[in-house]
Amino acid sequence: MKIKNIIITFVSAIALLLSTSAVSFAKVVGDKIVLGAAVSLTGKYSSNGVHTQNGYNMAVERINSMGGIKVGGKTYKFDIIYYDDESNPKRAAQLAERLISQDGVEFMLGPYSSGLTKAMAPVTEKYGVPMVEANGASRSLFTKGYKYLFAVLAPANLYLDVAIRTAVELNGGKGVKIAQAFEQDAFSQDVRLGILDAAKDTGSEIIIDDKLPKELNDMAATLVKVKQMKPDVLVVSGHTKGALTAIRQISEMKVDVPMLAMTHCDAAKLSKQHGKNSQYALCASQWHKTLTYKDKWFKDGMTYDADFTKMFGYAPPYQAAESSAALLVFKDAFERANSFDQKKVRDALAATDMQTFYGNIKFAPGGQNVSKPMVLFQVMCDSAGKCENKVVAPLKWASAELIHPIPKWSER
Amino acid sequence: MNKNLILYAAILIFGLAAPFLFSAFKVQLSILCVLIILAMTWNIQGGEMGYNSFGNILFYGLGMYLCASVQVGMFFPLAEWTESGGEKTFVHTPAQFFQGFGVGLVVAAIVPAIVAGLIGYSILGLRGHYFAICTLGLGVAAGEISGGIEIIGAGQGFTTPPFPNFGGLEARGEFFYFCSFISLVLTFIVVKSIYSTRFKLVLNAIRDNEDKAEAMGIQTMKYKIIGWMISAFFCGLAGGIMGGLVGYIDSTDVAFDGREMGVFMVLMAILGGKGTLWGPIIGASVFHIFKEGFWTFFLGWQYVALGVLIVVIVIYFPEGIMGWLREKYPERFGEVVDEADRKAQVELK
Repeated sequence: MKIKNIIITFVSAIALLLSTSAVSFAKVVGDKIVLGAAVSLTGKYSSNGVHTQNGYNMAVERINSMGGIKVGGKTYKFDIIYYDDESNPKRAAQLAERLISQDGVEFMLGPYSSGLTKAMAPVTEKYGVPMVEANGASRSLFTKGYKYLFAVLAPANLYLDVAIRTAVELNGGKGVKIAQAFEQDAFSQDVRLGILDAAKDTGSEIIIDDKLPKELNDMAATLVKVKQMKPDVLVVSGHTKGALTAIRQISEMKVDVPMLAMTHCDAAKLSKQHGKNSQYALCASQWHKTLTYKDKWFKDGMTYDADFTKMFGYAPPYQAAESSAALLVFKDAFERANSFDQKKVRDALAATDMQTFYGNIKFAPGGQNVSKPMVLFQVMCDSAGKCENKVVAPLKWASAELIHPIPKWSER
Repeated sequence: MNKNLILYAAILIFGLAAPFLFSAFKVQLSILCVLIILAMTWNIQGGEMGYNSFGNILFYGLGMYLCASVQVGMFFPLAEWTESGGEKTFVHTPAQFFQGFGVGLVVAAIVPAIVAGLIGYSILGLRGHYFAICTLGLGVAAGEISGGIEIIGAGQGFTTPPFPNFGGLEARGEFFYFCSFISLVLTFIVVKSIYSTRFKLVLNAIRDNEDKAEAMGIQTMKYKIIGWMISAFFCGLAGGIMGGLVGYIDSTDVAFDGREMGVFMVLMAILGGKGTLWGPIIGASVFHIFKEGFWTFFLGWQYVALGVLIVVIVIYFPEGIMGWLREKYPERFGEVVDEADRKAQVELK
């Protein structure tokens, strides 16, 4: 009768599970403000999902230890309920629903990636749950008329815009030949649109325009074309895997191109993983530790970098920094609203105008952050092979001069 | 017969009352209905006909895209809706939303059925592993192709129309729940009625020995295609509802999600017992409940837990839950067991 026992165990497990999961947590319990977040702990975005989670945790810890949030004369602390969305939009939408209707969460933090944010936004919007997100940059998120969605980061189409303009400038103002390859996902395709706009503006020509599959592991076909057609700029975007694949294959195939512009270099720890092979790669970033923004909680970029490294054992990519910033925005909004009413908090969020270590934050009516420019850094290595990311544009923060064109592989 | 009627009435009443009784679980319940539809329709091929199809996800995804496209396209220019850089914001009025969704669902059901007829004609001649591999390819190809079609959002994905301001906070969940529950009831009625006709016997004949069935004068191809078209019809319907429920369609992760939905529908049918009417329903329910439970209690290990569950099922219930019950209580399934005869056989062994 082993089987019978198994069934009885299963059935009682289900009963137990249903009864416990029906308990709702509600938004503010005692002195805790409970935020909900679905992040990618498994699946193709798992590395960035973890960066996001670490960024959130770091800020929660910091804000709580520095006195918490003062609302209505009482001090509250942040707490986050996490779920794993498995890098799957369908799952993310379900979890948003679950966080709101089962866990009773009334304020949300965003997931990682534009696609997942796109899946969650309709749900949070429906329930009027304010969501501050730090990792959904796709432009289309901000044209759907969402009222409860706020993004602390610059929209995706601005990521590599600067790179193209810099290339044109270095070319004496004449248009350049661009080769581009983008992953088939919401974020990368938006970066592509930004490049298309920049190319049109500057009279540049796009000679290769490839779409790459998700789970990007091979882009040799594009690189063969690049070798043949010799563009002035090669643009690649496909989250962490895209960056790693590009550098691996460019160095293997010895592809010479005067400028290589990418996204997600720091999330992929390019300079660590590929060392000198990643040298000269130009990367779009939402944040860099050398930027001179300041705030009360994390002081500045360098301090954040040091504290984060101490806490998690690796240097923070911008995905972590912007995630931390999201909590600072929430704290600020709660205190200004001086209430837990979702509408009031939403209005306070919309009126946000603050500086954080991560950058200035001010939301446009669509919800995107309009007061923070992107930065470009270049991977630079010394003769000992130690590589570092140095900001090269915009000039205000530049700590090194752009190396252009990239030396040929035969001369390295 | 009376007993059955009471059972059906009880299930129907439970289904109608469920969203109000378990208000917080509406989305999970809606998804459960969709899963049951997928498992039941897969069972027509995989269980009754013996054709292990991994391609039913094609119809599900197709239905999803079609429903959303029609819902948008009826009132607004589709290309501008899906264009990510679009500066315009379109908002459906409640009337437009429901009208669009209704028409969308009809299209989402009919077109996949026609597509199934067309491709079925060419690939249902394949048998065994060759058919399985071919259909697996169909789903993967559809995902990649749809990821390149600009008008449905390509790699950007497709945000389906947000639910309009209508009837309060619970309206969205209730609306999608009843859509999926009604579709489930429809599917059940159709599947049950075809299982009580000669049609099912033909499908079983094809499963047991296709050549012999053909030699008996059965036009097997015709039946295979019709069977697949029925599956496609309801898969498309389920896809359309799921698209509206999720709110965002991504080519490979939501629509042509062969890795998850495509495999789950097979798994659920086998878990419950393929080749039975109730098997897929029980299988899908058990599967869904366990999956949700694992997500809550084994966060990070949910797939490991799910894997263990599958192993347990394969070892203890190789014929599925229904198969196991049938072996345990054959009388309940109308099988007459002659105790003396059974004992005699055991002794002979």
